Amino acid sequence: MTSDRDQILSEFIDAWNAGRRPDVDDHLARVPEQERAELADQLVSFLSFAPTPDYDEDALAAIRAEPIVADALAAPSTRGGLLPDLLVRLRERLSWTTPQVAGELVRELGLPDDQAGKTASYLRRLERRQLDPSGVSGQVFEALARLFGVPPNELEGAADLGGWASGPARARTAMAFRADDRDAAEAVSEDLELLADALHAPGDAARDEVDDLFLGGR
Amino acid sequence: MPCEPDHLLLRRFASARDRGDVEQARQLWEQLAINNFDRVQQIVKAFRFSPGGPRLPEHEHGSAASEAYIRVMSMGANFRKREVGQFYAALVTCVQNSCRDFGRKELRHERHVAGSVDRTFDPDGDAGPYDAALAAYDDHLREQARDALDAERGRVEAEGLVAWAIGQVRNNSYREVLELTWFRKLSAAQIAGELGISVENVYARRSRGGKEMERILRDLRS
Repeated sequence: MTSDRDQILSEFIDAWNAGRRPDVDDHLARVPEQERAELADQLVSFLSFAPTPDYDEDALAAIRAEPIVADALAAPSTRGGLLPDLLVRLRERLSWTTPQVAGELVRELGLPDDQAGKTASYLRRLERRQLDPSGVSGQVFEALARLFGVPPNELEGAADLGGWASGPARARTAMAFRADDRDAAEAVSEDLELLADALHAPGDAARDEVDDLFLGGR
Repeated sequence: MPCEPDHLLLRRFASARDRGDVEQARQLWEQLAINNFDRVQQIVKAFRFSPGGPRLPEHEHGSAASEAYIRVMSMGANFRKREVGQFYAALVTCVQNSCRDFGRKELRHERHVAGSVDRTFDPDGDAGPYDAALAAYDDHLREQARDALDAERGRVEAEGLVAWAIGQVRNNSYREVLELTWFRKLSAAQIAGELGISVENVYARRSRGGKEMERILRDLRS
């Protein structure tokens, strides 16, 4: 005995396999309310291990043009890779401000509370692509991962598409970006908020533990 | 040019990574992520916090899909598996973790301590719903290797986790329909013609066979 739900599931499967990009919501809307949960579970089961659809060129072009995909594809060519976008999303999902993240982060790292301002400055610069994450220590990634509840390797992977770069290459990049970081601080000096950040920006004269954590590399 | 299947992209990705060609590895992972964007987006839409339970609020779908997609892109840097079923398992875990994190937003916000509330990442805990199946599948591969049945091992590796799971489905008629759906991508009408059964029968077998396959992949501990 078949049901409408079975038929709609099958129609989704056929459309998926043919590369017609079926929409879950459209299919759920076709079954009575009381059957939607079960159909949703079956669709997740199928989608979890469904074969690669037979996308044609038009379908692939449409996927590339999806805003989520287009943004993600553009990120690797910019400073920080996907990390700035990911940090902002994780922070906003928690409805936290950057100073709030910094406050939690200094506690996670066992730093004095009065380092929260400088830490917030570094976090802002990371989010704004003004700081290269190859200089950020593994301790910071691990602490952020604990705060946001994500695997540390996802954050590191987002940073430089990550394990992609070899160790020595990363170190060279980190060294190169230290000079750039100073340039970036100068470039944003007209911005009042960033001017305040710049007061905390790293300098060769008085480099402390926070500077090392954000500039010393992994 | 039609899209390259995931299993071939993953194999080329692993080769590029192993020989240190990071740029090609990055491009291949990017293509894998493009191939799987709909999988990410549609799982977010269908996601339930528990079987039959509530969905994510509709206004969160876009944000959850966006975060999940970035996390899938980021996964490539450390991904070491070579088999497409293992890739899908990791992807689904990543997407479902993102969805659960969105569901916890309110609670986290109230407590103001993200990491302490039912954290999704526990280095010592179960990372995903298919871990048991993956472990059993790995054991199966190791067993094949121990027995030195090279030809058989090669066949199992080629067919992968999904084929292995379908092979565990006990009902022959369900299994037949799943194989034609997954490996030959035949439509319900084509399967009905090939097997000489009604299309309604195909719908029912797909539905029941799919449920059994899901149980096999999730419940291997028992």
